[in-house]
Amino acid sequence: VPRRLLVLVALTALASSSTAAHALTPPPTTKAVVLPVVTRDLPNGLRILVHEDHSAPVVSSYIFFRTGSRNEKLGQTGMAHLFEHMMFNGGKKFGPGVFDDTIESAGGSTNGYTTRDFTAYLNNFPREALPVVLDLESDRMGALAITEKNLEQERGIVMEERRLRVDNSVRGTMWEGLYLHAFVQAPYRWNPVGFMSDLERITLADAKAFFTTYYAPNNAVMVLAGDVDADAAFELVAQYFGNIPRQEPPAKVPWGEPPQDGERRITVQKRAELPAVLMAYHGVAATDPERAVFDVIGQLLAGGDSSRLSLDLVRAHEVATVVSADLQWGIDPELFVIYAQARPGKTALELTARVDAVLSTLADTDVTPDELQKAKRQLRADYVRGLKRAGGKADQLGFAEVVLGSYTKLFELPAQWDAVDAASVRRVIGERLTPPKRTRVVLDPLAAAAEPVGAEAAQ
Amino acid sequence: VRGLRLAALLACAVGLAQADDGEVRLPPLERVTFDNGLRVIVGEDHELPLVQVYLLVGAGASQDAPGKGGLATLTAATLTRGAGERSAEELARAIESLGGAITASAGRDGTIVDAEFLAEDLGAGLGLLQDVVLRPRFEEDEVRRARDEQLAAIRAARENPSNVVAECFDAWLYGDHPYGRPAIGRPTSVQALGQADVRGFYERWYRPNNTILVLIGDVTRADAVARLKTSYGSWEGRPDAVPARPPVPPSVAKPRLLLVDDPASTQTQIRFGNIAMPRANPARMPASVGNTILGGGFTSRLVEELRVKRSLTYGAWSQFDMRLTTGSFQIGTFTKSATTLETLQLAVEVLQKFRAGGPTPEELTKARAYLRGQFPLALETAEAIAARLAEIEFYGLPQDDLTTYRTRVAAVTDAQVKSTAEQWMPPAEHLAIAVVGKASEIREPLEGAYGELRVLTAEACASLTEPVR
Repeated sequence: VPRRLLVLVALTALASSSTAAHALTPPPTTKAVVLPVVTRDLPNGLRILVHEDHSAPVVSSYIFFRTGSRNEKLGQTGMAHLFEHMMFNGGKKFGPGVFDDTIESAGGSTNGYTTRDFTAYLNNFPREALPVVLDLESDRMGALAITEKNLEQERGIVMEERRLRVDNSVRGTMWEGLYLHAFVQAPYRWNPVGFMSDLERITLADAKAFFTTYYAPNNAVMVLAGDVDADAAFELVAQYFGNIPRQEPPAKVPWGEPPQDGERRITVQKRAELPAVLMAYHGVAATDPERAVFDVIGQLLAGGDSSRLSLDLVRAHEVATVVSADLQWGIDPELFVIYAQARPGKTALELTARVDAVLSTLADTDVTPDELQKAKRQLRADYVRGLKRAGGKADQLGFAEVVLGSYTKLFELPAQWDAVDAASVRRVIGERLTPPKRTRVVLDPLAAAAEPVGAEAAQ
Repeated sequence: VRGLRLAALLACAVGLAQADDGEVRLPPLERVTFDNGLRVIVGEDHELPLVQVYLLVGAGASQDAPGKGGLATLTAATLTRGAGERSAEELARAIESLGGAITASAGRDGTIVDAEFLAEDLGAGLGLLQDVVLRPRFEEDEVRRARDEQLAAIRAARENPSNVVAECFDAWLYGDHPYGRPAIGRPTSVQALGQADVRGFYERWYRPNNTILVLIGDVTRADAVARLKTSYGSWEGRPDAVPARPPVPPSVAKPRLLLVDDPASTQTQIRFGNIAMPRANPARMPASVGNTILGGGFTSRLVEELRVKRSLTYGAWSQFDMRLTTGSFQIGTFTKSATTLETLQLAVEVLQKFRAGGPTPEELTKARAYLRGQFPLALETAEAIAARLAEIEFYGLPQDDLTTYRTRVAAVTDAQVKSTAEQWMPPAEHLAIAVVGKASEIREPLEGAYGELRVLTAEACASLTEPVR
């Protein structure tokens, strides 16, 4: 029987492979979703997680480096993401252009992404391509070609990416402004894409130093999910990655965000049609026991048409058309962000007043057991949906290892949600989701010009 | 993210079992056509305790009557706002209490109602879906709410230059053909829609003889078919429920360039192309291979020339958009204002070179391997399989379309790709081009570069789809 995503009904211990470094303890709940995972650490510190799933002859590989924009300094913002781009342009054994070409020729696809906390590189490919993929990955981890040409090529591309995602995007501009004002000291302040002036400024020497410090095997986690044999995979990985030397561990990121006293308000003026408001409250780190309470609050507020904000802002008062509410999960305390977009004729002030009214009701009165149950069930359903694809599984396992501290924490999430009670929902809303502790970004739409430049050419 | 079409390439991972011949193996399927004409496909997939339903009604924005643009979208949006014994709020609570989801949305040629539930909630979930499909309330106040939200969504979409360029390019290419109008409608047409319109659209088109229903999940086939028979067996058909196909739109015969002014912008969005092929077409597979070489993946010619060699853009792609009657071929990219003309000319040149010379042997080998390797990944989830099975029925594709794909892609020849490119990818003198950017900076260089130049605001793109009198 192929090992697959196991949905265990009732308390069932899961026998993982004999090489498992971690014994899995089933979470204390009647229904658990647990993926069989075996792990190994190479002597150079590279950590490997393997989830075997033989249901299709395909493999997903995700390599996580424990570096994101939180590891940057002002003057070099955008470095981690710019570096992600440079990683596709050749190492020592393989020249420029070979990486993408080889993966696609083998029937695979490849990409990467950078967050505030980490950088991930992913490949999805037929199982036969595993040795080729590992060869390519080890070449760039061990000996990336950090050249002037590589840097200049990606610098221009990333500037276009910034223009697309931030400078010419209303939403992107609002989110960038939100973080820049919600955080004062923490490097979570800046957007991972970096400031345009820093993208211009970054030097080859900066890139080389960044590589040595952060792209070391002891700063990385590799996840393989799919049609692989764990023991054979460990041997292959050891063969390709075993000789890459370990480096001094990176310095800890100094965290010292001061408490916020009083609301911070900023206005974004952009060409737009409808007002909108983004509100951020300081949350907790993803590993904090209180994180699950924030998750449940997010669902209660904006999880579907029967959620509190939807019923109040969209249905009862008809001030908004779109609402959302979520805690961002971070290694350090991230933000709980509420977003609302106004209907034509309504203002950001009206949106804010309704959000405050909804929060204040929730701080005063317990939610009903049915409502709490609905929120938990939605969280669990979303969690199962996130594990439908092998790539999703590899991504989630790696995320849990890097951000939650261990991949096993992934399987504890449903039990953590189940344990949230109405009293803690009230307490967290009353203590933390209050106006003096928030940052509010208001979109003030600039009207479009009535006539375009050169309209006389129109017939 | 490294980009291209942003999230598109992030889709990933494992699909289906593979048969000995290298083809994907689908879950065990059962196909039934009920007496009322409803086509049903049921598949057993026991990997996750979920049930997925994908219901395709064969009417969409193409069936919006003149002056009623946005009606198919509004009908779909109101469908889930109250049904059977439940008000809109009660229905939402019932679905969400199960941790399930029912969504409805209209496209050009069809409307999709999508549902997902835990297998343990099969009975309750199917009951809710049946109410939504067969007993929608369409209360006046709910129609009004959905309409107001649709009007707001139309305005909000204008904030995003890539939405603006997509809408204006369709209008510029298709003109007054139904495919030229946005499925979501325009403010003037949507404002005038009401309860009677929505009821009328539903009564006419939402009929079993115009519908395909696919259910895949942790069920037994016999049980699922029996339940569906009970739910939908007495749904009444209607002889005129199957719409006539939209006419084939005229191709662009001389170049024309539309410049949509976005005065504050620092980046120009570019789209260009022409009318191309419908979904059911023997050249579909060579077209797919050719498109991969020209503008799919990370190693395409467009990416190589525009992004890798010159850093002009973060993304560049080509695609065949294959619809019921016909569709388009188009290329898309974006660049800073100053390099607008350079980027556009280069993209056109890349297209022309490919048309003239066809693929190299290395490119052909790589594209075939890439598509072959990625195919199982595209069929990884039950909803993906359900959608593909429904499309096969809807577009009249061969029933073995999925299970012969890998063999067929491997057999595509150099000559097929070359002739397909020549026939279906447009020459420079037959291009409709739309750009959205800062006119005061980019207008002058574009003047005269590609035939007639028109300059409009985003709002004025609507005028392009009005019938010529």
